[in-house]
Amino acid sequence: MTVRLFYDLIALVIFALVIVFGVPALMGFDGFELNTFARYLALGIVSLALALSWGGAGLLNLGQAATFGMGSYAMAMHLKLKASGGTLPDFMGWNNVPELPLIWVPFHSLGVTLLAGLLVPAFVGGLIATFMFRARIAGVFVAIISLAFLVAFQLVVIEQQGITGGQNGLTGLAPLTLFGWSVDTYSVGFYYLVAGCLMLAITLGLYLTHSKFGLILRAIREDADRTRFFGYDVASYQTVIFCISAALAGWSGMLYTLVLQFASPTYMSVSFSLAIVIWCAVGGRDSVIAAAIGAILVNLLEGRLSDVFAEGWSLMLGVIFVLVVMFIPRGLHGLIGDLWHVLSNGSRKEGHPSNKSDMQSKPVETRQEN
Amino acid sequence: MAQLQINDLHVDFGGLRAVDGLSFNVTEGEILCLLGPNGAGKSTTLDLICGKIQPTSGSIRFEGTDISQLLEFRRARLGIGRKFQIPSVYKELTVVENLSVARSRRPGIWHALTRFSLSDGRAVTSILERIGMEAKATDLAGNLSHGETQWLEIAMLIVQDSSLILMDEPTAGMTIQETERTAEIFRTLSSSHTLIVVEHDMSFVRTVADRIVVMNRGAMLAEGTIEEIETNEDVKTAYLGH
Repeated sequence: MTVRLFYDLIALVIFALVIVFGVPALMGFDGFELNTFARYLALGIVSLALALSWGGAGLLNLGQAATFGMGSYAMAMHLKLKASGGTLPDFMGWNNVPELPLIWVPFHSLGVTLLAGLLVPAFVGGLIATFMFRARIAGVFVAIISLAFLVAFQLVVIEQQGITGGQNGLTGLAPLTLFGWSVDTYSVGFYYLVAGCLMLAITLGLYLTHSKFGLILRAIREDADRTRFFGYDVASYQTVIFCISAALAGWSGMLYTLVLQFASPTYMSVSFSLAIVIWCAVGGRDSVIAAAIGAILVNLLEGRLSDVFAEGWSLMLGVIFVLVVMFIPRGLHGLIGDLWHVLSNGSRKEGHPSNKSDMQSKPVETRQEN
Repeated sequence: MAQLQINDLHVDFGGLRAVDGLSFNVTEGEILCLLGPNGAGKSTTLDLICGKIQPTSGSIRFEGTDISQLLEFRRARLGIGRKFQIPSVYKELTVVENLSVARSRRPGIWHALTRFSLSDGRAVTSILERIGMEAKATDLAGNLSHGETQWLEIAMLIVQDSSLILMDEPTAGMTIQETERTAEIFRTLSSSHTLIVVEHDMSFVRTVADRIVVMNRGAMLAEGTIEEIETNEDVKTAYLGH
C-alpha cells in the first residue's frame, strides 16, 4: 500500500464518521436541518466528478453543469409524470402540447430514469469527448468547447418549452417511491440516502485515482505525447474519464432534484458551472475527498452568509476564488498537505510534491537544463 | 529479412526538405548509429519512424508491415520505443510511477481499470536495482539530477521492452563514467532489442555501434563499420567543409 492510498483511506474514514455521525448529531437528528445539508452533500458529488477530470486528467470541463442538468431533469421528468397521474403534465397543456412527447414516455419507469440519469450524461459527455480528444484538443480549448456546449444546451432546454417547461423548469413534483418507501426529503432517512451516495461516489473516485487508469491519466495530464509513445491510446483514456465524470454529475443532478423538489434551467447556467469549478478549486482538485469537502464548505458558507449579505455574496465568492488561486493553488488539500509536511519534518521540504507547479504551468524552465 | 526497412523517405517542412530520399535497413539485434552534421535530419528520421511526424512520401516497414500511416501509439504497441533528446520523464510522478507507466505491455483501458497503480511493482523494482536507483524509488522524478533523469528514461525504455528502441543523444550531459555505463547497458540490451542511436560522442559510438549510417542534408551519405566511416572521403568533406 502506498503512502498516498493510506492517507486517502484515513481521510475517507474520518469524512465518513463526520458525515454519518457528526453532522446528524450536531443537527440533533432533525430532518429539516439535515435537508439543507443533504443538498451540500449532493453537490459534493458533482464537485468530485470535476476533480476526476480536472485534477486527475488536466481536462477542465466547464460544461459540467450540462450533464448535472441532464440528471436533474431525468429525475424531475419521472416525478412529474408521477405527480400528473395518468394525465398530461400541466405545463404541456399550457403550451398546447397535444400528447406526451416520446422522449418522456420511458420516464414512467424509475429503473429507466435512474439509468438514464447516469447514461445520458455519460453518452453526451462521451460524444463531445470523442470529437475533442480524437482531434487532440487540449488545455484551455477543452474548457472553451465544453463551455460553448453548456451555453447552447441551456438555450435549447429553455427554448423547448413544451417538453422541458422552459424558463420555469419542472415544478410540482411527486415524492420519489423507492422500493415501496415514499421518500420524505425532510427525513433523516433521506439524508442518509444522499450521504450513502456521496460515500459511494468518493469510494469510486478513490478507486479510479489509485488504479493504473488514474496513474496513466496523471501521466497524460503531464505529457500526453510522451504517453502516446508508450502505446497508450490517450484519446480513449480521456474520453472514458470524461464519461465517468459526466455520469457522476448526472447522479449528483438526480439527487439535487430530489432535495429541492424541482428542476430548473439555472442548473445548467454558466454561473453554476463556474461555481462547481470554485468548489473544486477551494477543496483541492487533486483529491476527490477534498473536492467534495470544498463543495460542502463553500455551500455551507453561502448558506450562512447569503442570508446576511444577499447582494454581496457573489462578490465574496469571487474574492475567495481569487485568493485561493493566488495563495493556495492546490486548495485546502494542498494547504493541509504543506502544513503536515512542515510539521512532520521541515528540513526535507523540497522532497514533497507540494512544491510542484500548479494550474497549467508545465515545468518549462527545468527543461532548459540540457 | 530486415526488421526495419526505410524506403525512399521524404518529408517537407514548408519547402524545407528535412529528409530527402532516405533508404536504409536495420536488422534485428544490431545497434545502428546515425551520425551527421547538425540539421542532417537524424532526429527527424527518428520522428518519422516513431510516428511523431508523418512522411510526405516513402515507406517505413516494421517487421513486414507498413507503419508509415499508423498513429504513434499503434506503432508503440507494435514494439517501437523512443527516447527523446530532451529527457522526458514525468516530473510530477515518482520514479516507480514513471516506470509503471512505461510498463505498457497491455495498454488497454480495461486492464488499467482493473489494476492498482503500482501493481507492476516487482518487475519495476528489479530494473531499479539494475540502474542503481532503489533508494530513489518514491522520489518525484522532477527532483532527480540530470544524469539520474537520463537513467530513468533509459530504464523506462527497458521496462517498455520494445523490440526496436530509438535513442536520441542518450549520453548528452552525462559524465564519462555514466557514458561508459550506458554503453555497457546498450551492449546487454542488444541481445534482445534492436537499437537506433543518434549520438555525437564518437568514443561512445566506437564502443557500441555495429554499423553506422552517416546522413547529410536529409539523405544517406555513407554506411558501414566505424573503420569504413572514418576513412570515407565524403564524410570528411561533409563534416569539415571544403
